[in-house]
Amino acid sequence: MLKVAIIGCGKIADAHAEQIGRLPGCRIVGVCDREPLMARQLYERFPVEACFSDVRELLENGRPDVVHITSSPESHYGLAVICLEAGCHVYIEKPFTLCELDARRLIELAASRGLQLTAGHDDQFSHVARRMRHLVQQGYLGGTPVHMESFYCYEMSQSTYATALLSDPSHWVRSLPGKLLHNIISHGIARIAEFLTTDNPSVIVHGHISPRLRSIGEEDIIDELRVIISECDQTTAYFTFSSQMRPALHQFRIYGPSNGLILDQDQETLIRLPGKKAKSYLETFVTPLSLAKQYSANVATNVRTFLKRDFQMKSGMKCLIERFYASIAENGDPPISYREIVLTARIMDAIFAQLTALKVDSVKTGDPDASPESPRANLCIAGD
Amino acid sequence: MTTASTLTPISKPFIAEPSDLILVTGAGGFIGAAVVEALLDLGFTNLRCFVRATASASKLRRRLSQHSRGVNVEIMQGNLLSPADCARASAGVSVVYHLAAGRGEKSYPDAFLNSVVTTRNLLEALVSTGFLRRFVNVSSFSVYSNRGSRDTTLDESCPMESHPELRGEAYTFAKVNQDKLVLEYANTYGVPYVLVRPGHVYGPGNLPMSGRVGIDTFGRFLHFGGPNPIPLTYLNNCADAIVLAGLHPLADNEVFNVVDDDIPTSRQFLRQYKHSVRPFKSIYVPHAIAYLFCWCWELFSDWSDRELPPVFNRRRWHAFWKKTRYSNLRLKTRLGWTQRVSTAEGLRRYFDACRAENLNA
Repeated sequence: MLKVAIIGCGKIADAHAEQIGRLPGCRIVGVCDREPLMARQLYERFPVEACFSDVRELLENGRPDVVHITSSPESHYGLAVICLEAGCHVYIEKPFTLCELDARRLIELAASRGLQLTAGHDDQFSHVARRMRHLVQQGYLGGTPVHMESFYCYEMSQSTYATALLSDPSHWVRSLPGKLLHNIISHGIARIAEFLTTDNPSVIVHGHISPRLRSIGEEDIIDELRVIISECDQTTAYFTFSSQMRPALHQFRIYGPSNGLILDQDQETLIRLPGKKAKSYLETFVTPLSLAKQYSANVATNVRTFLKRDFQMKSGMKCLIERFYASIAENGDPPISYREIVLTARIMDAIFAQLTALKVDSVKTGDPDASPESPRANLCIAGD
Repeated sequence: MTTASTLTPISKPFIAEPSDLILVTGAGGFIGAAVVEALLDLGFTNLRCFVRATASASKLRRRLSQHSRGVNVEIMQGNLLSPADCARASAGVSVVYHLAAGRGEKSYPDAFLNSVVTTRNLLEALVSTGFLRRFVNVSSFSVYSNRGSRDTTLDESCPMESHPELRGEAYTFAKVNQDKLVLEYANTYGVPYVLVRPGHVYGPGNLPMSGRVGIDTFGRFLHFGGPNPIPLTYLNNCADAIVLAGLHPLADNEVFNVVDDDIPTSRQFLRQYKHSVRPFKSIYVPHAIAYLFCWCWELFSDWSDRELPPVFNRRRWHAFWKKTRYSNLRLKTRLGWTQRVSTAEGLRRYFDACRAENLNA
């Protein structure tokens, strides 16, 4: 029986407790939050054996095999170090750490102690994401991806979290290097990182505060972000984060030399885009018909999954946790490669560094549209 | 119709002098701002209005500008999650009206954090001041459970929901725990408290229709309320009740439900809404069918391992859609509360505001 603990009893901890509860062969021996009332409310609502407000007490009394760190991002690194040093495997919610260097250090520490780590990129393990990965692994794209597009939008008006952030000048999210973006975009960046083939892509960033946020006096939170990521002469990718565009997409498009795929996270649909076109006018009839057929098949798949009782809101998290625990039991590869975790952190570092430079420049020049003086995160010269 | 406040400057022996410092948390909110105005109307001259957001502070400042002569209204911006802010807010206060709470939260931890942890921080700060004469905790009808007999009257003697986590509403879970916390501080530290539990507070500024009438989750409005009375209380009537609860000498350690007289049934309310605001189609769901719907949803939620979260369940049906009568007897007899704005006038103002918003949409 695997003994599990959760540190940080906020919103996302509910999802962890719920998904862990669905898995056989594990039990939650303790939950911990520096605010005792928060630890207690989680303890009272889920089958949890004890609650604590001190991490070391949790580790000493509960003696967990695995710890899920679901606290705020700035605490991830320090808590993970304590847990790894106590001999626990660690699942860290996104963003994994505040910077690439911390991510590397944790991975080194885990490796030196024979422990496993994973990051909370659970969207990567939803039913539809797994279907996409399977197709890519089977060679559907026809080779290395040529181009990817990842949309990760956020409807601020629908979120009490965003309301709290915007109304509170001292909200903890504002202290993160990438502020709101830091807490949200890793899902969308990780999708790209998974399919990059080199470790040092070039990153070009444009970010701004939307007119809507400016109209309510917001001057700190960038809520519109466009990123171009490219590997020299190989794969390129666009990443879009927007709080204003509608529909608020959570979509990933990947195109290879032969075919492409479109994954829609919200609809849980996966659409194949065959590279070969029908002849002449037939394209206007055959292709839409084929798309209609594919959408119908997606509906059928979703209904089947629903009837099999495996279509919960966070079923991707359940799968990720299941695979993580399996990797611990079998001492196998972690469900998310460390390379992907580090690369995601590296791209995010580059994005936030450029946004900071952009802000410094706009303050210097007084022009909110100023371009950064500082060089791109990695300048890739053709032929390198 | 009565429009004059029943809280005319009074010779009644209130527990606080007009110059005593009174703290109102959530003062920028829908009810909070009305409470502040009611206190000013009553002649209290030393108020501290605690607000979280910058926008709320500016809005409140504008709203109170007409009351500014001869009164000291301090608008303090902060976060009750910060013990330091709570200490600042609590310094020297005699009476506290605690209206700040997490509303509209769907997440249990978020609702709990913004209602319970904040209340704990505030109470901790108040306990150490030694000045406190009364802590008015503004709660809600949603904390009650009225499961049991078929036709019930909901009053202050009804028990609180024993398992609020099973109601499927984060707000109820947070509010039950908030009330329990206040009682705990009363027992442990002797904090003098009053629990005020309003029904559905309505008026311009809070336009969404009460869920007790029905829901439009599935594309067509499902009318669940039918012949049930809807426990409405107009904003100013509710604010008067809250203010009285904080000042009346006989209110200590009591619970008061706040609901207006002559409240309409759900059917009457919906008919008037359609007539006065906009026509739309609705489907009446009889009580037995509504109960069955909630039960089936609950069963499916359990069977499917929460593929559908249990937002509809039998506990919620009992609390929201079971035929229940409401009493404001204690409020009237103990505190001498009377309804300042008649229900007919309150509904007229509310429907006017809804119509205006509908036209602007």
